[in-house]
Order: sequence, then structure tokens, then C-alpha cells
Amino acid sequence: MNADADADALDYDALGLVAGLEIHQQLDTATKLFCACPTDRRDPEEATTQFTRYLHPTRSELGEIDDAAVEESRVNREFEYLAYDTTCLVEADEEPPGRLDEEALEVGMEIAALLDAAVVDQLHLMRKIVVDGSNTTGFQRSALLARDGEIETEYGTVGVEDLMLEEESAARIEETEAGVCYGLDRLGVPLVEIGTRPDISSPAEARAAAARIGMLLRSTGTVKRGLGTIRQDVNVSIAEGARVEVKGVQDLEGIEQIVRNEALRQDALVDIAETLRERNAGVSDPVDVNDVFAETDSGVIGRTLATGGEVLAVRLGGFHGLVGQEVQPDRRLGTEFADHAKRHGAGGIFHTDELPAYGVTEAEVVALCEAVDAGERDAVVLVADDPKTAKQAIEAVATRAETAIEGVPEETRGANDDGTTRYLRPLPGAARMYPETDVPPVAPDPSEVATPELLTDRADRYADELGLDTGLAEQVAFSPRMPLFESVVENGVDPTLAASTLESTLTELRRDDVAVGALTDTHLVESLELVDDGEVPREGLDDLLRMLAADPDLTAAAAVEAANLGGVTGEEVRKEVRTVVERNEAQVREEGMDAFSALMGECMGVLRGNADGDTVSQILREEIGRLSD
Amino acid sequence: MNPGDRVRVDHPDGHEEGTLMPSTTADHLVVKLAGGYNVGVARADADVEVVERAAREVDATEAPEEGAATSVEFDDDLPTVTLVSTGGTIASTVDYRTGAVTARFDAEDVLRAVPELAGRANYRGRVVANILSENMKPAVWQTLAETVYEEVAGGADGIVVMHGTDTMAHSATAMSLMLDVPVPIVFTGSQRSADRPSSDNVMNAVCAVEAATADHAETLVCMHAGLSDDSCALHRGTRVRKNHTSRRDAFETVGARPLGSVNYETGAVTFRRDHTPRGDDDPAVHPALETDVALFKFAPGTGVEALNRLAGHAGVVIEGTGLGHVSTELIPRVEELVESGTVVAMTSQCLEGRVCDRVYDTGRDLLDAGVVEAGDTLPSAAYVKLMWVLANADDPRTAMQRDLANELQARSVPWT
Repeated sequence: MNADADADALDYDALGLVAGLEIHQQLDTATKLFCACPTDRRDPEEATTQFTRYLHPTRSELGEIDDAAVEESRVNREFEYLAYDTTCLVEADEEPPGRLDEEALEVGMEIAALLDAAVVDQLHLMRKIVVDGSNTTGFQRSALLARDGEIETEYGTVGVEDLMLEEESAARIEETEAGVCYGLDRLGVPLVEIGTRPDISSPAEARAAAARIGMLLRSTGTVKRGLGTIRQDVNVSIAEGARVEVKGVQDLEGIEQIVRNEALRQDALVDIAETLRERNAGVSDPVDVNDVFAETDSGVIGRTLATGGEVLAVRLGGFHGLVGQEVQPDRRLGTEFADHAKRHGAGGIFHTDELPAYGVTEAEVVALCEAVDAGERDAVVLVADDPKTAKQAIEAVATRAETAIEGVPEETRGANDDGTTRYLRPLPGAARMYPETDVPPVAPDPSEVATPELLTDRADRYADELGLDTGLAEQVAFSPRMPLFESVVENGVDPTLAASTLESTLTELRRDDVAVGALTDTHLVESLELVDDGEVPREGLDDLLRMLAADPDLTAAAAVEAANLGGVTGEEVRKEVRTVVERNEAQVREEGMDAFSALMGECMGVLRGNADGDTVSQILREEIGRLSD
Repeated sequence: MNPGDRVRVDHPDGHEEGTLMPSTTADHLVVKLAGGYNVGVARADADVEVVERAAREVDATEAPEEGAATSVEFDDDLPTVTLVSTGGTIASTVDYRTGAVTARFDAEDVLRAVPELAGRANYRGRVVANILSENMKPAVWQTLAETVYEEVAGGADGIVVMHGTDTMAHSATAMSLMLDVPVPIVFTGSQRSADRPSSDNVMNAVCAVEAATADHAETLVCMHAGLSDDSCALHRGTRVRKNHTSRRDAFETVGARPLGSVNYETGAVTFRRDHTPRGDDDPAVHPALETDVALFKFAPGTGVEALNRLAGHAGVVIEGTGLGHVSTELIPRVEELVESGTVVAMTSQCLEGRVCDRVYDTGRDLLDAGVVEAGDTLPSAAYVKLMWVLANADDPRTAMQRDLANELQARSVPWT
């Protein structure tokens, strides 16, 4: 990726780029937000019960229905849920929620302190309507915990608008024939959502702000780590564009790319809108064009008509050439139309900017244009599907095309792996929120909560006070094993030994295909203490950890016993070293101390890691000295 | 300032702008912010300025008037079902003043809330009450029975009663006894309030309408059969019990499997056992009740004084232990109660199974004291039945031992 070249190509100030972040982070609490279930993830194969449900949108307490919820519910889907022995009736929406988890509230207040945000006087749980099945209730419970904070990055200050404490949704397992299958293991895991103000004005700044917030969150020591435990959404707009919320950006690099591509997209859509207005563009009513394709060779269209489907077309007056125009790398205005058609169940669309193709002939294109009264300046979009789907899809395309004349639509988009985005749904509004009456309001007390030490400060402290080199200090401070490091060092283990073992050694072993994941904290603590006490030489630690990973039921002491990894005595070392020196007598007599390196390797090989290198080295020097004198 | 006003609230940490909402506690103001979140601000430190009065309606729904009748468009090809609302979760919304769920829907609102009901029947709507079922009273059962009678006499092909779940079984038993109608009476409700997308009200209402248009003349309870939104179980009103506080499938038939089921997807109604078919006899209603009846649950240590408080009642249903027992020391007092003219019927807190006071001495002594055995009648059903037989039967003692409306099964065949 050539970020700099792209950055040069777009002048973000001139575009009036404005971006904000929404960061969602799972908390690593003992129990879920509204029940006593653990926050553990499970394998779908371990499910104990399965059930299916439907969801229906409802009105808020102000009598409003949310657009996004209505659109979602048009797709009448059956949701399947997997329950586990670690989930209860609360996740299944078969029991009212319990009281708000106190640990989650505490961690939330720590995060508020780190963001310099003011905790609310009284927390009101809200129901945020989400009818895609990811919540068995049809809503996500969420509360505003704090607001008006700020963070610093190298590019300046970014305001933090709000901090929400909410429940994580159920994990999507797979699409089923009737709808979607979800696992209840993740549902109800405490989650914080941090929304920044739209203070960000470049892709690099967005990335820096996300990195900073990520570090602050990890500083609590009580956030989940690993894939999917933190999710970033980005709100992007340019001066003449509109607010677009991009969901599910995977990593920090992705943030930069998404902001850049969304700025590009909005800029391209603004240009297209200007051209369309100059051309006095307009969208006609969709009509059926089955007759045009009665004899078609196009596989998709032919099959559709043969199975009772319909081909519907809409004339887009003044759109010629623009439907095929690129708005993001390899995505055209036509791709945006197709996103809307797919959303209503259609497989895709055809449009005249790319026809004839796909088995549609020149003659059919001419007949099609005649049928919808399209001229040279116009474009025509087609959808072929069962009658109901085709109708909904072509209407969705027509609506999107009308919006294209006005400019950039406000919407929620999903991040694609290649850094582009696709249409997901309308922006959710305030109408999707209504009070969660099953959980009484809570008055939090932030005075009881201490501000956690920042990981950056912690890294400095490890370097200054524990004598770790800067790189290793940072590595262990930011590592998920940081709490383990703290506890072994507190028990007197040498900090450098502990840090290098927990970070470098384990990483090397993993690269060597050792099942490092099988090692428990107890294994690591015991092993480090055995080395620190001199029971096992440093060189034996590697083998000890390999053994424990292979047979996690062993204790470290038992593994040492079984493999005879315990240090040999000085006597035994001297005996082995002397044998090596004597075997190489000629070389020693000739080279003296210069023979040391070669013989050291041989000695260590003979002792197979059972002796400490320093000891061997010292004895070897003595033995060489003795012989060469 | 009032709920609905647009306000600006200044407080030590900053300020909020939004719509003032009804407060849930005395110490805090509740403001709905632009994003939809509500936030509580301590009143003591808050400085409130009203920006715009009555900017939003926060309490728009009006409660329907009791007794009001409504109806929606008519289709000659469809059967007519009367939706009778008594209140409860299926017909409820949240009261944002108290935070509680209250009933405030009439039949038309139910149609609006459950569009899936359209096309299955012509609907008439009657509102008998607007109460949560814990507030149900025998007097309302009487009004309900009269209303159902009027609707059936007026040509309804089936009745769906929307009812709170807590005491639905009692009301269903009451209707089973009071009414003699040739069409289905189907009770339904919901365990998740109608204001949530996951409410079971949609499937329960749809299945209840299907059950009310099917070929039978039973009084049934129609509620979720399991955790899934796939079928509803049909329980006889006199044999059903709410056996869980919160699950969708809380209702179970005691002493047998449910009488039938409704498939949500196809609307097919199937029966597992014999049932009364539809007929064309004239409907009849017998709403009289002797409400001076008490339900007495015995537990270890329950003393004589507890029984003394029952003196003078017209009827007492005892929920005894095991086969139908109370402690030996209570028996003389039970005998006095019977001698004073109170009808005393024995049921079991085991729920499953039949009382039999001929097995142990205590039982035999209770029979000698004049207690009548209610067979396998559920305590809740026996309570309603005793009220009814005291007002309608020539010999209430004998009636309590005989089956009137499937409440007392002749054979113990739980596997059917």
C-alpha cells in the first residue's frame, strides 16, 4: 500500500474531512453485565440447547419507529440460537435481567477517568432496538456512563463525546437457510463504547486516536484481548458530503485506509451529483420488461423468467456513463445500486453502462431502451428475480439513484477487507432507544475508583525501576501477560528473566509449533521460580516449558524430575568438561585459551542444557588454563 | 417545567440539552439527549432552563374506555373471532412514569400491534377490563362470562381472551364452568411485554386465533410450547398451570400432555386426544359465584390458629401434603369447620396425582371429619370450582368429587 502517495493525492483540508471514532471494547469481567454467567467464548459444537425466534419492530416511548429497524424487519427472518452450559435463561430472553454488574461499572468508571470524562449522576439503561437477531430481546441494553472527555495524540486533542456501558451482542455463527444462527456465549459480555467528537481531520489522525484509546483501554488490565474483542467504527464526512458510519474496521491500519477511501467516495459522489444536476437528471418509475428478454441467452435472466420470475427495469434519466463510474477502488456507482438490491434479497443488478455482456445482446439492449423510453443520455438498471424480490430490489435501486442526484446519502456502511465499504442500512436514529424498565437506574460513585496507570507510564517504570531495556519494558507492559509478570517479579523473580521468558521465549516456542496456549499461569510461575531458585539452569527452561506444553497435567517440579532437567553438580560438570578438554588435548596445547569457543559448544552439547552456561564457562576456563600452563 | 419540554440543564460537570422525561426517582431529573439516551441529573446541583414548552408528546397513548366495542373491515369468507381484552402483558405498553408495564390496548390496538392477525378472521373487539391479572377478581370473571356469552349469541365463531398470565388458569377454569357455548374460547397472553421486538405476543395471538377458528368447543389456554417460536401448546383451561415465573413456555398441562398444538408457520391445529366438536346449540351462561371461599395451604408447623381464621367461610379448599393431609392436631378443628356448614375440599400441593385419603390414618380421619376429596383437581381449579358449585350445584359436596369441565380426570393417564 502506498499511503503517502494517496495522502498526497487528496487534500483533506480542502475536502473538509471530518471524522470521529466509535470504539467498542469487551471487558474481561468475571460475569456478564446482567447475569452471573461467565464471559467465556465457546465452540458452537459445545452447545447444549438450540431454539429459534422471530423479531418484530416496536415503537419507542415517544411512539416513533426506527428506520433501520423497519428496513431490517422487512426481511422476515428466523433466527437460530445456540445455548451453552455457560449461558442461562437471561441470554435466552426467558428471564428478566439481573442488576447491573458492579465490576463492569467499576471498570467503566476507570475508563472514564482515563478519558478524563465526567461520570453521570444517574445511569439509565436504554433499549437500543436491533432486530437483526444479534440480541434475543431485539434490543441491546446500553447506558450513557460518562461524557465530555478528551485524549491527546501527536496531531492534537480529540474530544470524547460519550462513554457507554452496554451488553455485547450474540456472535454470528453462520447464515442458515431461514436466517442467521447466533451463539449466546458472547451475548451479555460487558462492553464499553467510546464515541469521539468529529475532531479528526486526517486518516493518520484517526489511526493515532484509535491507537491511543486502545492503549488507555488496555491500561485497565480488565479488557478482553484477541481477535474481535475490540471493534472500531468510523464516522466520516466531507464538507459537501454526509455523515457515513462505517462498521467493523478490523485494525488500526484499516482505519486509515477506510477514512481515505470514504473521503474519496464522497468526493466522487459529490462530482457525480453535480454532473447529474447539470444534466437535469431524473428517475422514472420501474416497469416490467419481461417481453424484451422472452428469448434471451442470458443464463440468469432466462432462468428467472422460466421459473415464474420477473425482469424489472428503471430508466435513470441523464445517468449515462455515471453508473459505471468508479467511486472507490474497483467499486462503481452501479455497485452502490447493487448493494441496495442485494439488501432486499436480489442477487445483483445489470445496468446499461456495462451491457451488452453476461449473455445480454446488443439487440436486447436496444429493445430494453425502447421499452423504457431511454435515450443516449440515460442509463437503465435491471433486476431479475422472483416478483416480490425484484419489485423491492428495483424500488431500492430507484430510491438510491434519486439520492445520487442530491449527493451523498447518510447511511451505515460495512468495512470490506480491501479497505472499501459497502451499504449496510440507514443510519439508526434516536427513535431506536427506549428505557429498559427491567433494570432500575444506578447512581455510580466514581470517587471510589482509582485511575489506572497508563501502559506507557508502566513501560517507563519497568525500564527505570526494574532495569529492563526499553524495548522489552514496552513489550511486557503492553502484553496480556503483564499481570503475570507483575506477580512473579513481586515474588522475587529477576525482572529481565521474567520479561524475556514471558515475551521472547514463549514467542519463539510458538513459532517452533509448541502448544504455548496449553501453558497455564501456574506452569509459568513455577518454572520461573525454579530457575530463579537455581533448581533449574536457565538453559533448561526452554525444555521445561516444551514438556509442560506437551503434557499440561504435569507440574513444573514433576517435569523437572521426569526429564532430569535439574542442574548437575559442580563435580559432575567438572568431570564432563575435563573429558572434553582431554579429548581435545592437542588443540588446547596448541591454541591455549583460543580453543575456548569450540570447546564450550562441545561441553554444552554433552551437558544438554543441564548446567548453567556461566558455571560451565568458568570451569572450562580453569581446565584449559590447567592444561596449557 | 413538565415532561415533554425541551430543556437545558446546567450542572457542575457541564450541561445537557434534551427532552425532559418523567422522573423515576425523586432525587434525579431525567433528560432524553439527542442520541436517544436518557440520563439522570441530580436535582440538587441542577439549574434547569426550559427552552421550548411541550416540544414532544411523551404520554400519547390514551387508555381505551372499558366496555368500548370496536370492529375492523369485514370479509364474508372468514370466520368471526371476538378479541376480548382483559389487560395483561399481551396488551400492554410501558408506563414511563412508573417504569412499570401497564395494559392500555383495545382490540383494534392489538390488530395494529399484531398485523400478522390480518386475513385469518374478522375481528370484533371487546374490552372487559384493563388490569394486570394479579388484580383479577371473581366479579370480573362474571363480566367476562357475560361478554363471551353475548358475543357467541351475537354470532362469533370463536373467542380469544387476552389475559395476564399470572391468573389466566383461574379465569380459564371459571369460563369452563360458567359457560356452555358451542364454539372455542381460547385464552392467550404473553410472558414478554408487547413493547419488545422479541415479545411472544405475536405468535401467541396468531396461534390463539387459529385455535379459535378450529373445529372444537373447548375452553383452552394457548401459549408457547417451548423456547422456540414454532408452535403453541393448547391446554385445557381446567388442567393448566403457570409453572415458571418468566419462560415463554411457562404453561403446562398437569397430569397429561397438552390437548393439542398449533403450528405457527402453517396455522394447523392438531389434537392429541378426544375433544368436544363445534356445535350449534344455543349458548348458555351460569355466572353465579359464592365468593366466600378460601384456599388454605398447609405446611409443617401450621397451627390451629390458622384454621380458626377460616371459620364462617362458605367453602375452604385445602392444599394438603402428599395424598391430601394436614397434621393430626388440625383434624378436630377441620371437623368443627365442616360441622359449622363449611364445605371443605382436599387437594394436594404435589399438583401431579390424585388425593387419596384412604391410605393413611390421617387421611381416614380427615374423611371422617367430613372433608371431600377433589380427586386430581388442581388446587387453583378447585378454588374456582368450589365458588361455582356453592352457587350452582344442588349438592356442592358431591359436585366437588365429580368432573364438571374436565377439571377432574376419571383416569390417571399422564402419558396421553
